[in-house]
Amino acid sequence: MNPGPRRFEEIAPGRWRLGKGAERGMSADAEVFASRAILQGALDDASIEQVVNVACLPGLVGSSLAMPDIHYGYGFCIGGVAAFAAAEGIVLPGGVGYDINCGVRLLASSIPAAEFIAARERVGHAVLQRIPTGLTPRAICRLNKKEFQRVLSGGAREIVRNFAGDANDLEFIESGGCLPFDRPGVISPKACERGSSQLGTLGSGNHFIEVQEVEEIYDPAAARCFGLEAGRVAVMIHTGSRGFGHQIASDYIEMFRKRNLERLKLRDPQLVHAASASAEGRNYLQALNAASNFAWANRQLLQEEVVLILEEILGMGRGKLGLRLVYDQAHNIAKFETHELGGRSVDLLVHRKGATRAFPAGHPEVPAAYRDVGQPVIIPGSMGSRSYVLRGTVAGGALTFSSSAHGAGRRLSRHQAVKLAGEADVRERLQRSGITVCSLSSQGLKEEIPEAYKDIDDVVAVTVAAGISEKVARLRPLLVVKG
Amino acid sequence: MRNYETFSTTADSGIRFRGRDFRELYGNALRGLNLLLFGRNPRPGAGAGFVAFRFHGDGPENVLVNFLAAVLELAYRDGKKVSAVDFSRADKKWLEARLRLAPRRSSPKIEVKSVTYHNLRVVEKNGVLRAAIVFDV
Repeated sequence: MNPGPRRFEEIAPGRWRLGKGAERGMSADAEVFASRAILQGALDDASIEQVVNVACLPGLVGSSLAMPDIHYGYGFCIGGVAAFAAAEGIVLPGGVGYDINCGVRLLASSIPAAEFIAARERVGHAVLQRIPTGLTPRAICRLNKKEFQRVLSGGAREIVRNFAGDANDLEFIESGGCLPFDRPGVISPKACERGSSQLGTLGSGNHFIEVQEVEEIYDPAAARCFGLEAGRVAVMIHTGSRGFGHQIASDYIEMFRKRNLERLKLRDPQLVHAASASAEGRNYLQALNAASNFAWANRQLLQEEVVLILEEILGMGRGKLGLRLVYDQAHNIAKFETHELGGRSVDLLVHRKGATRAFPAGHPEVPAAYRDVGQPVIIPGSMGSRSYVLRGTVAGGALTFSSSAHGAGRRLSRHQAVKLAGEADVRERLQRSGITVCSLSSQGLKEEIPEAYKDIDDVVAVTVAAGISEKVARLRPLLVVKG
Repeated sequence: MRNYETFSTTADSGIRFRGRDFRELYGNALRGLNLLLFGRNPRPGAGAGFVAFRFHGDGPENVLVNFLAAVLELAYRDGKKVSAVDFSRADKKWLEARLRLAPRRSSPKIEVKSVTYHNLRVVEKNGVLRAAIVFDV
């Protein structure tokens, strides 16, 4: 039986298709990677409507795709992937989202979990004290105009060069932590104003810093390659381009409206777009690169602060702690990539909004050290549940333009989550499960209770069953610092 | 439906509002946003000053997004709460007004990062204008 009024057909395990003839206006199929329950949830919260809206966009290559963590967003669903021809296709800010290059960074270490657990309260308080979270106007890094422009051009490279970090990290950041940007004129003064005071901040909402224990290894060779060892500590950082990316997205949505809205027939005005080769399209792509660089610089700075805290509290240097970057990946971005379609190489602009790039073994953009196993795919769970490390597969290339899930995916609205949490103390509850939680916002913690998210095990099971990615390791949270 | 109210989507938050004309519509949009940001609407206070706002857009949706983005900017950048609006022009493409500021600095309870156009359409039914706006939070 197919769930819901839209007649999705399960064409392979965990892969559901709605043919392009199903609704007026669809120029391509809609495909959702989901279990039956996840698909039903997507039908219920109207995120399928958003997948269908994307299937109506002109020049979509392949299908409008949604990953197993699909949930309702604006314009695109979260977990949405859409590809357009690189030269003659379109670009749409709504296909990237406001928090440009929101992403996740994972560090491995040789710290035994038991050793960290003894110190985790102190680490949690230090992180909360030293790393600006929530609505605070503080930032780790206050830059003058010149320095800020250098960060926009250099991304994580600029941080490593002039502030903090290890140059070896750059190899393990998607795109080396820097996309080409050399036209400051495409960015509004307002975006620069918002950004220059927010470099080195975590933000609020679902952004976090977690210290985890590598709990289970599924693929020993890949785990060894990524430096993940059972019983050792890992650090995960989730944040993005903060107000800078938001302002760029807002500015370009306004600009695209002015120049293109009248001639576009859109099911949702948030899906306003421009030809990627047009002046405004090219300007947006430049600005997108700057925001991506900001986000990589931001995560680099936060990493260095966390490393310093661990060094101070555990009383050992970075080398002895064995701290090294496993990978840093974007999950709100549009990138030019080459994919095999029908036996030929095609240049595409792949939009991923709440979706992770997942290149297979042998792909030239996978770090040389990982090229035999594939790109790490980091899928964080909610603050009370496990996270996973997977790796990209060859099959994923054909199925999803090498894309995978980016998290568990919300199930409840913030309002529903707060209501469900009631008066219970979220910190105490998680402490009883062996997880220390630090946050300045009790309300924020209630909004992020584990029940607000899908079961990460289900999301990962579908991801694996559909062949998009393969499991490498599972991580359990020991300390959660929430924005 | 009330003149303004908040609602939640799976990942974000929004406001629904209505008005018999554009002045009421834009005024209730402000009240809805204040409800979302501060949990209640501030009383207009004396001597707190005002900020001039002027925008010409391609339609009421464009006006609403830019108006509310300006209110958010005042809230987060300057810690200022807009308590009321004195309209000098409000129609489907124009909004000219003095935004009256509440006397005390206020911090929003939540971080609203952007105003989206998601499914935003101002519709008129039985002489009442209605709209709903989703914010990125």
